[in-house]
Amino acid sequence: MDFIKIIENTISAFFGIDAAYFALAAIGLNIQFGYTGLLNFGQSAFMACGAYGLGMTSQYFGVGMWWGILIGLALVVILGLLVGIPTLRLRADYLAIVTIATAEIVRLVVRSVRFKEYFGGSDGINSFSTSFRNLSPFDPGAQYGVRPFQYSGYSLWTMIVGWSLVIIFSSLVYLLMKSPWGRVVKAIREDEDAVRSLGKNVYSYKMQSLIIGGVVGMFSGMIFALDRGSVQPDNYSRDVTFYVLTALVLGGVAKVSGSVVGPMIFWGLYVFSDNFLRELTKDRPFEIFGFGIIQKAQVGPVNYMLIGLGLMLLMTFRPQGIFGSKEEMALDGR
Amino acid sequence: MTEKNKSRSRTFAVARAFAVVAGAVMMFGAPSAANAADSENSIIVSVQDQTIKNGVSEKSPVSGVKISVTNPTGLAIGEGVTDSSGLVTISVPAKDDYVVTLDVTSLPDGVTLIEGTKTVVTIVKDAFTTNSKRITFFAGSSGESGASLFDRIAQRLVDGIRLGLIIAICSVGLSLIFGTTGLTNFAHGEMVTFGGLIAFWFNVLLGIPLLIAAPLVIALGGVFGLAMNGMIFAKLRNRGIGLISQLVVSVGLSIMLRNMFLYQFGGRTRPLDDFSLQVAKSFGPISITMRDLTTAIISLVVLLGVATFLQRSRTGKAIRAVSDNPALASSTGIDTQKIIRVVWFAGGALAAMGGVFRGLDEQVGFEMGSGLIFLMFAGITLGGLGSAYGALIGGFFVGLLVELASLVVPAELKNAPALFILIIVLVVRPQGILGRKQRVG
Repeated sequence: MDFIKIIENTISAFFGIDAAYFALAAIGLNIQFGYTGLLNFGQSAFMACGAYGLGMTSQYFGVGMWWGILIGLALVVILGLLVGIPTLRLRADYLAIVTIATAEIVRLVVRSVRFKEYFGGSDGINSFSTSFRNLSPFDPGAQYGVRPFQYSGYSLWTMIVGWSLVIIFSSLVYLLMKSPWGRVVKAIREDEDAVRSLGKNVYSYKMQSLIIGGVVGMFSGMIFALDRGSVQPDNYSRDVTFYVLTALVLGGVAKVSGSVVGPMIFWGLYVFSDNFLRELTKDRPFEIFGFGIIQKAQVGPVNYMLIGLGLMLLMTFRPQGIFGSKEEMALDGR
Repeated sequence: MTEKNKSRSRTFAVARAFAVVAGAVMMFGAPSAANAADSENSIIVSVQDQTIKNGVSEKSPVSGVKISVTNPTGLAIGEGVTDSSGLVTISVPAKDDYVVTLDVTSLPDGVTLIEGTKTVVTIVKDAFTTNSKRITFFAGSSGESGASLFDRIAQRLVDGIRLGLIIAICSVGLSLIFGTTGLTNFAHGEMVTFGGLIAFWFNVLLGIPLLIAAPLVIALGGVFGLAMNGMIFAKLRNRGIGLISQLVVSVGLSIMLRNMFLYQFGGRTRPLDDFSLQVAKSFGPISITMRDLTTAIISLVVLLGVATFLQRSRTGKAIRAVSDNPALASSTGIDTQKIIRVVWFAGGALAAMGGVFRGLDEQVGFEMGSGLIFLMFAGITLGGLGSAYGALIGGFFVGLLVELASLVVPAELKNAPALFILIIVLVVRPQGILGRKQRVG
């Protein structure tokens, strides 16, 4: 077993692009779920807005990358209003049901044959990242850094942009939550009726929170799409939201540090488990007393089982995660 | 025992419970199904929609197409329905001569086979270069489908009634669990999958006839529901964990169970052995197999039974009382915890039954239940969250509407109208058809 390789991959995953785009998605989800108490289970749909907004610019409109952000913003607002208007006046679980359903429908629509000419069907959209590529100051062919932090020029560029966005948005969220606006949404999470009795328009604040969180999620989708150089509908399945949620709960809900460090640790653990199990089953299935436990093809499901189990155990035994405080996790939306 | 020790031992008890559930689920399929079938001979059929655009041909998979395999004398060997990637794998006993037939009536509306494509393909023994032989049917979405509008509506109506009955059966438990405990259980779809997979295990791997296996499956589904409550959610309630946190736990449970199913069963969808080969009988414009007719009738009888049970029996009345107001019910002497256990058992059993029917209707796969959960949620929201009768009515209508909607929307998007039902219900009447009006901000 190649322990050096496993450890190298694990360390580099802490700072990798996957952790960056998860951190962005988690920052967005934290605004909605952590600070406002909105159960948005459709963050993947907001991420898809960003990715497809970007993808469609070059494909159909023939305009530059910057327009992609505008298109993405428009899509996020439409989506936010679509799921928010019917549900934000109701109990918290209605939003969960509607967002998860919407995310699934968004995925089905973008991968459908009927709308293939707009969204590229199950093949998705490629070849939109040229203008982003051209902005890069690095030589795309060269390797930079030393192992385990060694990246190609393009990866380094997406990582720098990705982590810069993480820093920008986490600072903004930190400031936002210190502002009067932040105090109102936190109060909504604690006691909606009390806030309403103070004359605040709770519905409007919730909608703003949903859309602001969605916008951060949109940037997450963009970074992911730019790094992969393609937009694939199946990268925005509903489970992505739940993995982001797990990463957020791991770090600590309603804490800026939690939403950044959580995804880093999540990806570290995931890559460790994945690499370890793959090494373990590389030559022959992993066996205990001659009884086959894990085969090569079963490594994927085992990883995801562990994520599910991790989410359950975290919510039960340490809902505040690493950085959170227990008082802020007293979520009970009824 | 000091207070601190008490809470610690409780902590361990919950941790142990998680481990036991995990273990119990992994046990059920010790003879791993995933690997047994890979070495068998099989015919892989792919149905692709090919359109020529700007001189470039583009392919996209066609799902839901019925494929049957017979031997040259016409004896049925196997059949299947193409999945979302347009593929279906049909196991065959040996490398031999076979006839593969595509059921043209099962093609989605507007999709026809490309002119000159045969619907019947003969495979000779020597064509098996490996264990599997792959054949592809090409379709083009140009032609009009042959049936008249009236016939298509009639057929969709029948399909919709069948789907609606299955959704209603699956979602009664979901609604009752919500009513009695307040939990929105995202792992309910996995209870449906559990039923389908256990039925597959009994019927295909152990060779037990489905008629004998089905009651066992349903009982095991009930036990599975009880275990979920007893080992996880009852403990969470005792610890005073909030409902939203419980909801997130159920999401984690759903991810874990779904991947356990994938781990054990593999990613393919496969048919049950019994009743998988059926010839559709025509009644005027509609055609239905005896199997589907029977499952529809059984579903209807079960649903009427459930309704009668809730309306008339002592336990049924107690369930409705707890659903209405747990505190009041408890103060009138009803054992709330017992009622909650009854509800989880019944919910699990009904979901497993829905899983068996769904497995007969389509095929068995690790995602069969999680694909339905969203229709179930739409159904119970339409009917009224927490109301048992609401779940029956709402689930039925959602199934019906989804099938009818596929007359106008493409088959791949036929679940989308359920979302619109959901949104419209929440805007117009958030408490649903039969739900009680609650505070709406």
